[in-house]
Amino acid sequence: MRKFAILTNDLQFAAANKHEERKEQVAKFLPKQSEFLKKMREIGTQVIHLQLIVSEDDPRSQGIPNEQKFTKGSKGAQLLDEVLDKKDIVVEKPKDSGFFNTTLDDELKKLEITDVIITGMQTQICVQTTAADAYFRGYKVLVPSDGVVSTRPEDTKKALEWMAGYCAKIMTLDELYTFVKEELRK
Amino acid sequence: MNAQSKLTKIILDHGTGGLLSQELVSSFITPIFKETYLGKMEDSAILNIDAKTIAMTTDSFVIDPIFFGNGNIGKVSVCGTVNDLAVSGAKPLYLTLAIVIEEGFLLDDLKKIVTSIAETAREAGVFIVAGDTKVVRKGEVDKIFINTSGVGVFEENATKFTMSSIKEGDDIIVTGQLGNHSIHILSMREGLGYESRVLSDCAPLNNMIVNIVEKFNSSIHYMRDLTRGGLGSALNEISEAIHKGIEVKLKDIPIQHETKMAADMLGVNPMYLANEGNLVIFCEPNITNEFLSELQKDKYSKNVKVIGKVKVTTENKVIGLDAQGNSSIIEHLYGQELPRLC
Repeated sequence: MRKFAILTNDLQFAAANKHEERKEQVAKFLPKQSEFLKKMREIGTQVIHLQLIVSEDDPRSQGIPNEQKFTKGSKGAQLLDEVLDKKDIVVEKPKDSGFFNTTLDDELKKLEITDVIITGMQTQICVQTTAADAYFRGYKVLVPSDGVVSTRPEDTKKALEWMAGYCAKIMTLDELYTFVKEELRK
Repeated sequence: MNAQSKLTKIILDHGTGGLLSQELVSSFITPIFKETYLGKMEDSAILNIDAKTIAMTTDSFVIDPIFFGNGNIGKVSVCGTVNDLAVSGAKPLYLTLAIVIEEGFLLDDLKKIVTSIAETAREAGVFIVAGDTKVVRKGEVDKIFINTSGVGVFEENATKFTMSSIKEGDDIIVTGQLGNHSIHILSMREGLGYESRVLSDCAPLNNMIVNIVEKFNSSIHYMRDLTRGGLGSALNEISEAIHKGIEVKLKDIPIQHETKMAADMLGVNPMYLANEGNLVIFCEPNITNEFLSELQKDKYSKNVKVIGKVKVTTENKVIGLDAQGNSSIIEHLYGQELPRLC
């Protein structure tokens, strides 16, 4: 029997508010994503947020305000309220792939997950690397084309093509919801 | 108990030339080298060389990260220099080792790196004959930089592999899958997810080279270590130097599937990625089949492939032919494809 989990990537204050272009894209993406997570939780799908946390001495943390930092406890590192639920699991990650030096694989194995639905931002970096890593680790990978976001939409388009070619099944959020619901009925 | 044994990290006094420096070298580093260390702690190493011709080379290693899945900066710093000597036809014999260490570097990490240098030197059959250790303040280097210089000897009547020996019609052979070192290092650095699927090819190739040179000698015309700039840069440099065209069948270039995935994802061409245990060899076509069989027996060249030919032309271009026979020019790499890989 297939068992699904949703992974969100970097849905954090600093990433969502990096600059005006990013804010604009996130604003378009977020309501639908939030709605999708809510519906999926209702049918029993575990949501796991991958939260980028970098060390205080990381060059990316130097000389910038608290809301732009990804250090532990900073405002920038906080997950967005719109996507967070108390039943969700949060896995801290230091790099692009959600599996790199994290507990994600252990969490998924503990939950006996077979399929991961990979969402969030940015499509061509964290989503793409997490998708490849999940595929290498034997998970079936599903990516919603409207559940991922990049500053530049063309980066999302290219990354989706790459994932479709190498390691993932691409569907829309609505198609994915219907697909998972059907699978869970079996 | 000496002062050294109480410390866990490198401090600036390790580089002052005083007692602590002396202890670092004589009680910490050189005992790890065991029989691979021939130095006498004097201002220079005095060595007997029974050869009329020698090869010399030097290389500095600034790899990030310094530890990776199947090696570390120590292994790379021996392999890089040993391979540069061996591809010229020389027998690598002696290495010098200069280490610049950032204050605060863990002695345990230094031990791992020095151990790796010793193990690789042992495998390659080379000796560390002289060394230098400097310590700099935090931020003045990134953890540890290493330089190795090497001396190799040409035995009597040994073939010296230079580009001028390449002939029209030569087959072009690549001994391993391209780009794995670069993708592995980059994946370790950025957490891209490929690090356990794609391993570095870093290896000392001199024993493999000795074996093929013994068997095929002058039928081998030239070989080159495909480090920075990769195959694409090497072929362009060779084509320009010999004033001849080179034709490569793109489908025959050995590339691991996951490396291709990563390269496509990153928008880089595996043809230009750095390798640390991969050669391009130019040889007479009449030996190619036997040559491939021999190379396939070696663990460092089991993925060997013939990828192309030196063309009968004076137009010094490198042409790639796709599966349909369409041709494209493989350009010189402008700048650096990816930084700090070796």
